[in-house]
Amino acid sequence: MHDGALFRRICILGVAAWLLVFALAPNAGLLVVSFLTRHPEDFVAPGLTLEAYGRLMDPTFAAIFWESVRLAALATLVCLLAGYPFAYGIARASRRWRPWLLLLVVVPFWTNSLIRTYAVILILKSRGVLSNLLEALGLTSGPVSLLYTDTAMFIGFTYTLLPFMVLPLFAAIEKLDRNLLDAARDLGAGSLRAFWNVTLPLTMPGILAGSMLVFLPALGMFYIPELLGGGKSMLLGNFIKNQMLLARDWPLGAAASTVLTVALAVMIVLWRLATLRARQDEDDDILTEGAP
Amino acid sequence: MTKRIAALLLLAALVAVPSAWAEAGKTLTIYNWTDYMPQSVLDEFTAETGIKVIYSTYDSNEAMFTKLKLMGGKGYDIVVPSTYFLSLMREQGLLAEIDPKGLTNFANLDPEVLNKPFDPENRYSIPYMWGSTGLMVNTAQVAPGTVTSWADLKRPELAGRILMSSDLRDGLGVALKALGHSMNTRDEAEIKAAYEWLLELKPAVRMFTSDGAKQVFAGEEAVVGLIFNGDASQIREEMPELEYVYPREGAMLWMDNLCIPAGAQNKEGAMLFIDFLLRPEIAARIAEEFRYTTPNKAAQALLPEELRNDPIVSPRPEDLVNSEFQTGVGDALPVYEKYWEMLKVAGD
Repeated sequence: MHDGALFRRICILGVAAWLLVFALAPNAGLLVVSFLTRHPEDFVAPGLTLEAYGRLMDPTFAAIFWESVRLAALATLVCLLAGYPFAYGIARASRRWRPWLLLLVVVPFWTNSLIRTYAVILILKSRGVLSNLLEALGLTSGPVSLLYTDTAMFIGFTYTLLPFMVLPLFAAIEKLDRNLLDAARDLGAGSLRAFWNVTLPLTMPGILAGSMLVFLPALGMFYIPELLGGGKSMLLGNFIKNQMLLARDWPLGAAASTVLTVALAVMIVLWRLATLRARQDEDDDILTEGAP
Repeated sequence: MTKRIAALLLLAALVAVPSAWAEAGKTLTIYNWTDYMPQSVLDEFTAETGIKVIYSTYDSNEAMFTKLKLMGGKGYDIVVPSTYFLSLMREQGLLAEIDPKGLTNFANLDPEVLNKPFDPENRYSIPYMWGSTGLMVNTAQVAPGTVTSWADLKRPELAGRILMSSDLRDGLGVALKALGHSMNTRDEAEIKAAYEWLLELKPAVRMFTSDGAKQVFAGEEAVVGLIFNGDASQIREEMPELEYVYPREGAMLWMDNLCIPAGAQNKEGAMLFIDFLLRPEIAARIAEEFRYTTPNKAAQALLPEELRNDPIVSPRPEDLVNSEFQTGVGDALPVYEKYWEMLKVAGD
């Protein structure tokens, strides 16, 4: 018993130390750098200033930010549309199959996502797996390529991020009380209406959680548009990397990174508030139902 | 008399070299470009000197520079910056002086590549390999002879089938050359004109990539675009219909140089290694594998005949008319960066 407590404490301490050293400290460092003065030789010079943030206020950066948000939002939508039926299917599968199906969702995580992106290239490229298959089936007369298109980019996003969407959705759908659906049917609702009025609102926490888990990484994932989409636009990740390495303008790169971090933090807070409200509504509903 | 002196010198060398090995540290830390040195060369060096090699790689001068700078010039015994980074690193005191007299094989180098403005008298750098960035043309898809210049990229039949570099100096460099300017200009008006030239080309570009050119042309994802001469030569072994063109306005040249960081732990070992690489048979083996141009004259003579006569690997003077070496642009770099961002942000 005592040993268990000790083990737990060591684990928590380890994780906390890890986060402190590899997540909190670098981010705090970036925050400090974003307020320092630019120096062409030593990257930064002492002297606090808001100059870097001032330089971020320009239409080019706004366009880069907007394009990143637009792509991440679209990727989230595609993942949601693909992930919902997927999670629904798993949740409705027999109890014996469910753990295996979930395992299959998780297994790709064991491979680095960059390597999986290269695997997508092998599938989509001209004379690749897909191209050869279509040709063998006689559906196309010559090699076709989907690579370096928006379609390829969204296939990449969906493939990489789908598990983040499926797992929270599965948790929400599995919890769903089927009696409520039967009740809706009894009261005359068609299946579409039952889905819209019962299933969807009750699985909303899963939808929100999954969307957050997809949207946030998608915002920073610049290598997928670069490798699969042809790198025709500049995203936040490219911008930060260019400022840090190429232009050696560390305050500007750090300021852009800080803006991104703050934007993500705000979204997480909003999501927490939304889930808290949803839970409260649920409790309220139960209370009103319980009242005579 | 001269014979006796030569014999004495030889004897001195025989004694001096092993004692130098004994003095040199037991490990040598090398930081080089990816895909740029055969493992067999490193193994041979270790077998001969007993110095263990720790080898790591980078994919951009910027990454190498930042790392070295942050570590105060320590951590590596050999780095291989390109010409346009060399002057910057030298000015910032990141490099140790090299005495060419300490290199027995220095005389093998082609005088043409020595004593250049980025490092007068080669006090900080020894040329490793050089090459060009030119045009790859798939002659099975594009009528041969129709693409001979950078400006030809604007031909309507190439729309949607062009590979452009994702490196901003290369990308804007193409446009600057096409417009007849220097690719190293610091004049904002010229850089802006180059941006406008690229903006017009952008809808015709299939992808921006720097390290994927070989795969792109092998898969025929693009039929024309930028490529390094070494990559071009390697891929032509499989697909002879791919032709390497030195554009009429001039190719973009670069050279990578062996340097010793100021804080190197094993400078003697580094000198031994540089001298080892300057041996004709070693330099030739490296050039044969990666197909870039060796600055080592004695090595050139050892290359197989088909490489010696191949203008891709061994450019003739007429191939390099109007070509220039990429150099640093100093304060103008943020200007390049600004217009590159504007290009990337612009919608098709």
